[in-house]
Amino acid sequence: MSAFLDRRDLLRASMLGLGAAVVPQVAVSQTRARVLVVGGGFGGASAARKLVELMPSADVTLIEANPSYMACPFSNLVIGTGRPLSAQRFGYEGPAAAGVTVVQGLVVDVDAAAQSLSLEDGSTLSYDRLILSPGVDLRWGAIEGYDEAAAARLPHAWKAGPQTTLLRQQLEALEDGETVIMTVPPAPYRCPPGPYERASLIAHYLKQNKPRSKLIVMDAKDQFSKMALFQEAWAEHYPDQLEWRGASNDGAIIRVDAETSTVYSDFASERGAVVNVIPPQKAGSIADRAGVSDATGWCPIDPLSFESQLQPNIHVIGDATIAAPMPKSAFSANLQGKVCALAIARILNDLGPQSTVLANTCYSYTTPDEAISIAGVYRNGGGALQSISGAGGISPLGADVSVRNAEAAQAAHWFDTITQEAFG
Amino acid sequence: MLAACGGANDFSTEASVVTASLSEPSGLVLSCTGCHSDTPGAIVSLTAYSEDMLKDALERYRSEAEGTTVMHRLARGYTDEEIASISAYLGQPEDDG
Repeated sequence: MSAFLDRRDLLRASMLGLGAAVVPQVAVSQTRARVLVVGGGFGGASAARKLVELMPSADVTLIEANPSYMACPFSNLVIGTGRPLSAQRFGYEGPAAAGVTVVQGLVVDVDAAAQSLSLEDGSTLSYDRLILSPGVDLRWGAIEGYDEAAAARLPHAWKAGPQTTLLRQQLEALEDGETVIMTVPPAPYRCPPGPYERASLIAHYLKQNKPRSKLIVMDAKDQFSKMALFQEAWAEHYPDQLEWRGASNDGAIIRVDAETSTVYSDFASERGAVVNVIPPQKAGSIADRAGVSDATGWCPIDPLSFESQLQPNIHVIGDATIAAPMPKSAFSANLQGKVCALAIARILNDLGPQSTVLANTCYSYTTPDEAISIAGVYRNGGGALQSISGAGGISPLGADVSVRNAEAAQAAHWFDTITQEAFG
Repeated sequence: MLAACGGANDFSTEASVVTASLSEPSGLVLSCTGCHSDTPGAIVSLTAYSEDMLKDALERYRSEAEGTTVMHRLARGYTDEEIASISAYLGQPEDDG
């Protein structure tokens, strides 16, 4: 790869330190670096914007199948509190105004050897570096009987949009006294605390509107994110509305019957008037066609640059990656997008990626005006993302309601900030 | 455009921005901007903070017990050098220069 900045000038600048107000004008190659970003969610949109900021001379194209993006964070408030779905929708005018070329189209294949990809309309685009931010696909059929047709009756609502509205409408149509079922898959899946935030807000809806109804959560796990905090909130707010059953209490679902709205574990079954099935997931399917996903269905990456371990010049960010202990969150995707953009800018300027510290924060609402959080801090040197011991953790247990109110306000501010950074 | 090695008039401001953007502190602060915007609110804007104020705040978060934000839990993940680096990068110039 040719240098896009003159290396000596960069070295001189770094020796001068950050205090240096000016450095010599740099040489710019006549070749413009071409970076393609596939997938316009929190990861892809953030990466594309950071790339144009760091490399104004590069040609950065964001390719997204949909004309706008529906954000998953805060979509549980749509389901539980009637927040308008339109508040979840974000366009791509912001990235375009920032200098990103936005292409609406579906990428159907990637040729890693030729460094090119093809779109559904038959066009092909070549790249110096490709960033895939494909999000998740639902594993249809992983739960027997749960396919796309079944989801029209038993919504997953794990991708924001019509499914979110469908689940809300089903709750509104519920008769007081009828049962709601939610099923939760084994890890890993998008948004580890998401099912439990949703359970909280559905229970809130029932308490307010259908007080004789109850939500039963059937979980493939025995432990979950922020478990002690959620259980504290459930005991306080929803003792009559919410029952959680873990794997060792026959919570792991293996089959559903959409006709009768019944879910089955090995030895038990439950019928609900509303059934929300959150199915197992994998990296978005373009990852398979690009050859960057492994047998797990997820994408192994170099934690320094988020470059695929399986294909050169292709980087993968966001929910599709194997980045544990970083969770599959919007915060992680946004940050990974930015870190990946910085790494690519350094690589294209012959500097090479550099280790850094990455953080994550996930807020979850337990009522419409109370929230809890989990945070983590990670290093990406040494060949793996590793949690920094002593850092991170969950909100304090037993805290005053003012702490929960404060975190709810912080969550709302976070949503505004991160959507502005990606799409604004 | 070739690298100039003349006097001050040949220096490019844009080049310094690009170069600083690829430096180590610019990686560290990427975690900050997911929550902290220029808009004040429930999460503070950092635009009014000097280097010293940021360093002091981060060190207090790191040493104090739990508070009402995630900052205590996050600050404990950073070394002295990283806190100094972040503070220098994000800190606004003091009024008195």
